[in-house]
Amino acid sequence: MQRRSWMLGALALAFAAPGLQAQTASNPVDPAAMQALRDMGAHLQSLKRFSIVTTLTGERVLADGQKLQHTATAQLDVARPNSLRAAMRSARSDRDLYFDGKTVTLWTPAQKYYASVPFTDTLSELVERLNERYGIEVPLSDLFVWGTPAAPLDKIESAMNAGQDFIGKDLCDHYAFRQGQIDWQIWIATGSKPLPRKLVIGNRADEARPQSVSVIEWNLKPAFSDAVFRFVPPKGATAIEILPRRAR
Amino acid sequence: MKNKSRMALWLSSAALVLVGAAIAPVVEAARGGGHGGGHGGGGRPHADHSRADKRTTNVRNTSVNNVNVNRNVNVNVDNNRGCCNNGWDDDFHPVATAAAVTATVAVTSAIVGSIVRSVPPGCVPVSYAGMVYQQCGGTWYQPQGTQFIVVNAPY
Repeated sequence: MQRRSWMLGALALAFAAPGLQAQTASNPVDPAAMQALRDMGAHLQSLKRFSIVTTLTGERVLADGQKLQHTATAQLDVARPNSLRAAMRSARSDRDLYFDGKTVTLWTPAQKYYASVPFTDTLSELVERLNERYGIEVPLSDLFVWGTPAAPLDKIESAMNAGQDFIGKDLCDHYAFRQGQIDWQIWIATGSKPLPRKLVIGNRADEARPQSVSVIEWNLKPAFSDAVFRFVPPKGATAIEILPRRAR
Repeated sequence: MKNKSRMALWLSSAALVLVGAAIAPVVEAARGGGHGGGHGGGGRPHADHSRADKRTTNVRNTSVNNVNVNRNVNVNVDNNRGCCNNGWDDDFHPVATAAAVTATVAVTSAIVGSIVRSVPPGCVPVSYAGMVYQQCGGTWYQPQGTQFIVVNAPY
């Protein structure tokens, strides 16, 4: 009995083989999906002033593989090429990042501490530099990188169209990508403004595959003035040292 | 065999009792002071994490929040700590190895993962990896709402 089913299996494989081969020979990277990424990137880079609010659901994996979810929100006020204000809020910490084109400041309102360093480059450079040198992640830093050479699209190993979906009231094209140790999905609004409305990233480096979900609300006609980018220490604020990230 | 496992059980519960006794006072203190203060986001109530199970701080990995990042840099640094991706939402990493550390350093310094209402005098605030820490000699504290949690040295 066992033997017969093995034979049947082998037979089935032999018949299926031509089909399998055809599938693997075809390009796993759908060019239309890649073009959608490029169009979105070009559109993002064309936006001069905008505000976004993002709600993030993240996961952490405990020692035994059990997963816990947490939430955080951020508001970003952006003026290209070199101004950013990011308010990051969670139950554990509130932090504000200010960048006025000359100075980056990280402000911790609860403790009234701030740390500043000079910086004069673009937002794309800023998010990379903050991450590499100081280990500081800017919320939705991809928004500043897509559409620039720092977003290497050639590292994407698989790209596909996954249909359409509504995010809020916006009809979106849904795409799925595989890239190194991450599987990621993006929902891009259809129509003349291809804005990312949702981003899901699965981390395959851990077998529990912790996943982050970011939903993004856009305001393309923000009311803020340039004053929001400039950090003025409030009364009682203390400047503290910021240490570059070190290997251990 | 039976005796041996009973002995092991006794030993581990004795260790638990010791650790528990050391943690209890600070946790109690923290509970009393969970509210008040007045800083923070727009008048919402402060979150209190002092009742959270200690297992929740033993984090081995996290989700990642962005696609375009030079992860080579991160991985090398972070893997030494066994954990985490340094997300803007992620302030759990320094406690990642709490269980292992607690067993050995419990006698000499504040226990990693324990929560206190205030830090000792003479601590130095330092901004590192997006978070503010209070370094107090060999002990590091990280603010959590109006409280502080003892963490492993972040670097």
